[in-house]
Amino acid sequence: MDAQFAIAGRDFVISVTDKGVMSSILKMKKNQDKTCQLSSHTFMSVSGEPGDTSNFSEYIQGNVKLYSVRNSQDLSPSETANFIRGELADALRSRSPSHVNLLVAGYDKGAGEAALYWIDYLSAMAKVPFASHGYCGYFLYAVMDREYTPDITLDGAKALVKKCFEVLKTRFVIDFADYTIKVVDRDGTRELRQDEL
Amino acid sequence: MSIMQYNGSAIVAMAGKDCVAIAADKRLGQRALTVDTDFQKVFPITDRTYVGLPGLATDVKTLYDRFRMRVNLYKHREERTIEPKTFSHLVSHMLYERRFGPYFVEPIIAGLDKNDKPYICGMDLIGCLDFAKDFIVGGTASDNLYGMCESLWEPDLGPNDLFETISQALLAAVDRDALSGWGAVVHIITPEGVITRDIKGRMD
Amino acid sequence: MAPQIEPSAGFKFDNVKRNQLLGDKGYKLPTATKTGTTIVGLIYKDGLVLGADTRATAGPIVADKNCEKIHYLAPNMYCCGAGTAADTEFTTNMISSQLALHSLNTGREPRVVAAMTMLKQHLFKYHGHIGAALVLGGYDSTGPHLFTVYPHGSTDKLPYVTMGSGSLAAMSVFESRWQPGMSREEAVEMVKDAIEAGIFNDLGSGSNVDVCVITKGNVEYLRNYARPNERVEKEQSYRFRQGVTEFYAPRAARRGQDTAEMDTSA
Repeated sequence: MDAQFAIAGRDFVISVTDKGVMSSILKMKKNQDKTCQLSSHTFMSVSGEPGDTSNFSEYIQGNVKLYSVRNSQDLSPSETANFIRGELADALRSRSPSHVNLLVAGYDKGAGEAALYWIDYLSAMAKVPFASHGYCGYFLYAVMDREYTPDITLDGAKALVKKCFEVLKTRFVIDFADYTIKVVDRDGTRELRQDEL
Repeated sequence: MSIMQYNGSAIVAMAGKDCVAIAADKRLGQRALTVDTDFQKVFPITDRTYVGLPGLATDVKTLYDRFRMRVNLYKHREERTIEPKTFSHLVSHMLYERRFGPYFVEPIIAGLDKNDKPYICGMDLIGCLDFAKDFIVGGTASDNLYGMCESLWEPDLGPNDLFETISQALLAAVDRDALSGWGAVVHIITPEGVITRDIKGRMD
Repeated sequence: MAPQIEPSAGFKFDNVKRNQLLGDKGYKLPTATKTGTTIVGLIYKDGLVLGADTRATAGPIVADKNCEKIHYLAPNMYCCGAGTAADTEFTTNMISSQLALHSLNTGREPRVVAAMTMLKQHLFKYHGHIGAALVLGGYDSTGPHLFTVYPHGSTDKLPYVTMGSGSLAAMSVFESRWQPGMSREEAVEMVKDAIEAGIFNDLGSGSNVDVCVITKGNVEYLRNYARPNERVEKEQSYRFRQGVTEFYAPRAARRGQDTAEMDTSA
């Protein structure tokens, strides 16, 4: 029951993840950051089984960092996404499968373009212009399909994110208290407040 | 719902006169929700051998990565490129190895051998090879594709006619399948090179 | 992150846990291609004749209209397969390679009982999970032999046998007409009739008749011996006018033959 989506332009990705932690009918927490910084220009957002999400993302974060330290070079977004997919596929075949849905966002400094990868809990992966996981996808894909253009600007994407919030507010049964909004582009990753959109 | 229908796909290969064609839709879904409309399901193995992987998307990626490793190793060891027939036996063995815990993919292979002779073959998810002289189909629209190909295919089509025939067969088939479609890609493999075309289809 | 090259002997079970997980979530796990099949064999005066239809099915769909169900085992031995198509193919293939090594080691022509024992031991080991039902026939130093091998590993030795979903139809032909010491012509004709009984009366069998005649020191593999289901020529051509299919600006053609670079991209 998380809200998790992202939109990629040519040279940026904007990602939105809700901050709520729910257990059955209870709201346990409303300030949980469900994103995970992997390198200066790559991060991912994670949803799914509560224990699995933090366990898996910490494991990935550790190993991606380890690679950077050992090789004095960061993995590119596509390399990161492929690595994560491989690890998730292996985990799925182990005694303790992780039930996590991921969006990997990054800016490829070499190629000079942004990349967004959608990975589901079965470890299917796709490079996409915009993506969402969970129930909110049933609402948000419609909005993003209608409004998205390949040459969308960051300001355009921010406006689109606002429209997505609007739809969730009016049509989705769950009221998400707050969101983590992150942008990655040439200058690295930064977090935005909702009123900065 | 079968696990083979979870992501949705439609792939078809046809043999022509001194050429072969392989075509696939572009949809990636999660049951009824479309997630991506530019998902690659057909991959080049060599310059003149292509493999199509209809089935569960996670296994499409896993298998393609494994094929790539095995084909690269083959190239290192043998110092030659792999023939389509050799490659299909490689794939068949890789699938049968997991007879009791299969990958949910029914590969389709199309290519020209070293004498420029057309080669197409398909297999089930545990690697039972199906050599055909005419066409091979797979995916959620496979029943529709069987019907289309049985009526549209004819022997000795040249590259241009083969393109029209395979495209129209695929488009008509995916129009009657809810789980596949959203555009398609066609590869025509000829001795002179491969022509790749993204064809226009219904986006519903 | 180096790629791991796996040891390559025997079955792998690494997907089993994952597949169980998917099965538990309520997704139906797919079934493999079966050969609905009519396969037969009979002994006549100078040797034996094997026969098979050529239809492979995937549920109600005909997956292959002209597949080969008479598999090579050794120069003097062939084997018809029914059941799960991949299992018959790979089981006969594996036994064939073991027989080749065996006859190379011993310097003798392999015996049919040896093949039969290897097959039944292999199938028994897997408790019927390898779904291969076989008709094994060959001519060795002790004469002609005909066996049936069942998926669980039991075997029969009989002068005339049928197997597969069309076995009842085929057996009705044998039961009414088979007699000891028949001629080659009579034997081949009867095998053809038995297979055709399966082709026309069993939905799991169809298309053409393959026949294999094995005698002392000679094998005649008559692929598509009878083709009773030839498709008539189409009355019209459904060839499309060139240019009717709309496509986006074409991508550049990939050219060349042996120039394919090694693909090491992420």
